[in-house]
Amino acid sequence: MVHLAVPMAETLTFPSLQYRAMAPILIVLGAAVLGVVVEALVPQAARRAVQLAVTLGGLATALVFVVATPGSELGVVAGGTLAIDGPGLFLQMTILVVAIAAMLVVAERRVDPAGDAFAPRASSLVGSGEEQEQTRRGWSQTEVWPLSLFAVGGMLLFVTANDLLILFLALEVMSLPLYLLAGMARRRRLLSQEAAMKYFLLGSFASAFLLYGSAMLFGYAGSLDFAAIADAFRDKPGQLGLQVIGLTLLGAGLLFKAAAVPFHMWAPDVYQGAPTPITGFMAGAVKVAAFGALLRVMYVALGGAAWEWQPAFWVIASVTMLVGVVLAVTSSDIKRMLAYSSVAHAGFLLLGVVAFSTAGLSATMFYLLAYGLTTVGAFAVVMLVRGPSGEAGHLSSWAGLGRTSPVLAGVFALFLLALAGIPLTSGFTAKFGVFAAAIEAGGVWPVIAAVVASAISAFFYLKVIVLMFFARPGPDAPAVVVPSLLTTTAIGVAVVATLLLGVFPQAFLDLASGSTPFLR
Amino acid sequence: MAVITTGLTILTEGAPNPGEVVAASGTFALAPLLIAIPLASAVVLLLAGRRANAWGHLLGTAASAASAVLGVVLLVAMMGQPEDARTFNQPLWTWIDVGSFSADVALQLDPLSISFVLLVTIVGSLIHVYSVGYMAHDPDRRRFFAYLNLFIAAMLLLVLADNYLLLYVGWEGVGLASYLLIGFWYHKPSAATAAKKAFVVNRVGDFGLSVAIMVMFATMGTFSFAGVNETIAAVDPDTVTWIGLLLLLAACGKSAQFPLQSWLLDAMEGPTPVSALIHAATMVTAGVYLIVRSNAIYDLTQTAQLAVVLVGTITLLMGAIIGTAKDDIKKGLAGSTMSQIGYMVLAAGLGPVGYVFAIFHLLTHGMFKAGLFLGAGSVMHGMNDDVNMRHYGALRAAMVVTWATFGLGFLAIIGIPPFSGFWSKDEIIKAAFAEHTVAGVAALLGAGVTAFYMTRMMAMTFHGKARWEPGVHPHESPAVMTVPMIVLAVGSAFGGLALLFVGNIEEWLAPVVGFEKAAGPIPTSLLIAMTMAVVVVGAVIGWRQYAMRDVPRMAPMQVSWATRAARADLYGDAVNEAVFMRPGQYLTRTLVWTDNKVIDGAVNGTAAGIGGLSARARRWQSGYVRNYALSMLLGAVLVGAALALVRFA
Amino acid sequence: MNPTNYLVLSAILFSIGAAGVLVRRNAIVVFMCIELMLNASNLAFVTFARMNGTLDGQVVAFFVMVVAAAEVVVGLAIIVTIFRTRNSASVDEPNLLRL
Repeated sequence: MVHLAVPMAETLTFPSLQYRAMAPILIVLGAAVLGVVVEALVPQAARRAVQLAVTLGGLATALVFVVATPGSELGVVAGGTLAIDGPGLFLQMTILVVAIAAMLVVAERRVDPAGDAFAPRASSLVGSGEEQEQTRRGWSQTEVWPLSLFAVGGMLLFVTANDLLILFLALEVMSLPLYLLAGMARRRRLLSQEAAMKYFLLGSFASAFLLYGSAMLFGYAGSLDFAAIADAFRDKPGQLGLQVIGLTLLGAGLLFKAAAVPFHMWAPDVYQGAPTPITGFMAGAVKVAAFGALLRVMYVALGGAAWEWQPAFWVIASVTMLVGVVLAVTSSDIKRMLAYSSVAHAGFLLLGVVAFSTAGLSATMFYLLAYGLTTVGAFAVVMLVRGPSGEAGHLSSWAGLGRTSPVLAGVFALFLLALAGIPLTSGFTAKFGVFAAAIEAGGVWPVIAAVVASAISAFFYLKVIVLMFFARPGPDAPAVVVPSLLTTTAIGVAVVATLLLGVFPQAFLDLASGSTPFLR
Repeated sequence: MAVITTGLTILTEGAPNPGEVVAASGTFALAPLLIAIPLASAVVLLLAGRRANAWGHLLGTAASAASAVLGVVLLVAMMGQPEDARTFNQPLWTWIDVGSFSADVALQLDPLSISFVLLVTIVGSLIHVYSVGYMAHDPDRRRFFAYLNLFIAAMLLLVLADNYLLLYVGWEGVGLASYLLIGFWYHKPSAATAAKKAFVVNRVGDFGLSVAIMVMFATMGTFSFAGVNETIAAVDPDTVTWIGLLLLLAACGKSAQFPLQSWLLDAMEGPTPVSALIHAATMVTAGVYLIVRSNAIYDLTQTAQLAVVLVGTITLLMGAIIGTAKDDIKKGLAGSTMSQIGYMVLAAGLGPVGYVFAIFHLLTHGMFKAGLFLGAGSVMHGMNDDVNMRHYGALRAAMVVTWATFGLGFLAIIGIPPFSGFWSKDEIIKAAFAEHTVAGVAALLGAGVTAFYMTRMMAMTFHGKARWEPGVHPHESPAVMTVPMIVLAVGSAFGGLALLFVGNIEEWLAPVVGFEKAAGPIPTSLLIAMTMAVVVVGAVIGWRQYAMRDVPRMAPMQVSWATRAARADLYGDAVNEAVFMRPGQYLTRTLVWTDNKVIDGAVNGTAAGIGGLSARARRWQSGYVRNYALSMLLGAVLVGAALALVRFA
Repeated sequence: MNPTNYLVLSAILFSIGAAGVLVRRNAIVVFMCIELMLNASNLAFVTFARMNGTLDGQVVAFFVMVVAAAEVVVGLAIIVTIFRTRNSASVDEPNLLRL
């Protein structure tokens, strides 16, 4: 942000940019732009291969840059607008790992006889001859790749944003491509388009909240900078109205992306309607980005007012997990069930956020890593169980899967156990971390609510496991498609991570706690 | 796993009471193998698929037997150590370590855990052998053995853990294995329902354990046994009481104690070897283990101890009464299991005078009850899987071995000297009289009722006139089944004597759980005489009613209200239904899927309640964008109001 | 003129926008109401910039306008696609995803 005094200063000082620290963001956004150029210049036949290379190459390079960031580069950079610090890098790493896994699933072409999971042209009329012709010709919408890259770029920016303007911009850069991606499914296009519209309208509504809240905080603090806002909360009494409205609306905007109750209602509809690889991407990576931003805003900018927002947020956390698990109990669609489960997990994650401590920060980050990878894996498995008209979403068609394809059912059971937080899976380690942090912060009742919620959640996760292993397959039993190496790799990574973070989590716990605290 | 760990260094902790913690080395470093062997076998059996059908059961049995042999080796090694240095700690790896929160995967081998190890592995191995015959014709026998091995591994983890968190891992593991095994015959809807009920009820108990662990961590910053023992004295007494009550809740769930007893009777839907191993000898006693293991906590809280005594007393009477009225031989035995565990819980609630005898009774009960269940399985095997005792009678001639082994178990459970039950139960009654006269009287009465229902069972099954269904030809079971029964019968006969006089169980366990001699108002000899009198009266009544008279093939309908109540499990389910189920059911009717798929049937109380709540809450998810937007706006207003309240107040 | 008046105006605009989102059925109108909310925020930013004597708020307003334009592109693409499929731009009509 260029800080200009009024009246205008004589000379305009250009802010110094720390390119090394910002490299991952620049690489991903650069790759996205390159992807757009590829769309324009590369012939249709070669486009997918080139896009895949650009996307995975860009993400992998960015990951290397994130991991290799030297300690000397850490700090608040780009004129105070970006904070490249421990949590920022950990979250960027998590986003990139999850995004790479998700992109491998997005690239899968073998499970659907007609091609990938996306409509040949998202703009063509549903069920029209035009659409059939495009399908027949095997067209594919390769814009998926640059759109995903823009979203990832926005996420990387979102978790490091250190002022309100960048926060808003990052939110939009992340969200706008996702609105489009949600509407691009090849099968069940009506559902997909509906999901896109709901996501878009509600998402924009939430953005407006966030922006207006930012305006109020700007009015109160006189600056967009998080550190300056924190100072204002410490030193500047008065203007309580601005404080409260600003805090509320900013919080609401962020909680929307995190899918916390009562801002969660879009999640089940959008998760169900969106193409499954994109659902996995959203459930995994967007969750990380949303909580990353929420953590920074709450810990850095609004840290001085923690005593003020903590009570309300304890309640939101408890209600979120209880509502999530209760709604999941009766959902009969697997994607919807996972969506409600994602709402519940938002509640568990919020415990770590509200704890407002170093332990809470590192526990939340570890949780995000564990949850993100497990979720991508789970949605990848969902994609593979198919009936004649696409994915077999209804739970009843998962009956007996353990008999027909034991390995896949076993893998899915592992993911479900992890989501339920059964010991020796990543979910247990993660949950215990946030619970412990919350207890230390005095949130005994929310943790009791969390234990109750976990108990209820085990019920519906195990319901699916029982269904897979004990029920007999129905007459319309779906086929399990053997995926290509791409999806297999993604699922494999998720399985390894789920076990590793459950049985030998120490290295990652150390990494998470070594990445604290936020710089300001 | 073990290979990695043998070289690990010593856990340098201060010496907790009691005794000294020694780092496991030499033979003791083999302890992780106890768990690793059955676990590896379970994994192999599950992954190998049909290829392993031919040899799966053999591998499973061999794995269990290997653990048993290792257990014996460890016992011998431990006996070679001085009395105050028999607690061995073996850290495997640091599991979770964040800030002040730290948990190790570490095993603790001490006289208490080794006793359990031997019970689990030896009885487990015998039941594996038995199952080879019992499940011979089941197409899924390999999977059954995989689950059995999984159970053995989880149970051993439970008893070998050196902290509550790892214990919880095992606790969940045995729960999962039990769930899988109860529902093993999933094509039977009753089995599916029973599995679900066991699961739901156990969640309530697990909730108690997890909250107890949370509270421990919040107040003491640790949950290792050693750490808790050391710091518990400094904790606020009310908190200690809460921890004690929460642990009791956990124990109630796992050990089928009042008021969470209802699942055990239904769990009999599982294959009989499972009932013998999990729902009689080992898993259901985990609650007793938990209480005894937490002796340092209970010694500080009179209230929680009283609650334990109360729960034990109620359950021991309740289980015995239920046992008197069941015509299903397995359910009769299940009622008896509840009752006997009630004795153990009662003993565990008595403090240092009782801990040792709780474990003593647990061990003897493990042997004779497993033997009784295997006997029941053998009878069912010969009677075309009929479980109704009214269709038995006069089976002695047809099944001599089963009769003899069941008979020894019978003598052991009713407490005829010198059989094993006598020694352990008598000590519990003595200790109960010393501490709480009411509990003592109840325990004494319970012994009489036990004698009655066990005599009834014995008489209805093996004596009197034959009331067989047409076409049933009772026959003795094959040797692969009878040999384990014989071994357990020998254990039932002489196990008590051996543990008490050869094994010196009081001194053996004292370093871990503490021991005081009970000093009651009634002299020991008089007490034994009273107990014997009550037992003989119960047995004689039972014998007169069921062996001397004809037993009707149909259960008589004109019976007293007491019998009706007992037949209905003392209305446990009716209460459940009235409290949880009815309101839930009303809403559940709208659910299509949940109700007519596999998990349907009698949706258990709580589950139905949550299901109903869920169905109602789902209506909010109307699909209308504008409703969602309204919810967001209202949510924001609410949050704002809450913030304003905090800010301005 | 007292700058507080501009803040009041911005609050009124934001409320009108939010109310419009809740009551209007046509997706385009709903979307325009959201734009109104964004512009209400812009007004607040600019006013605060004036009151606090910095230019930051005014710079924000420019960025928000750009973002709003991008949002229009995405939003219209989605709404038009739905309109072509269903011949209706009502936000209530596509209601297959629920419960």
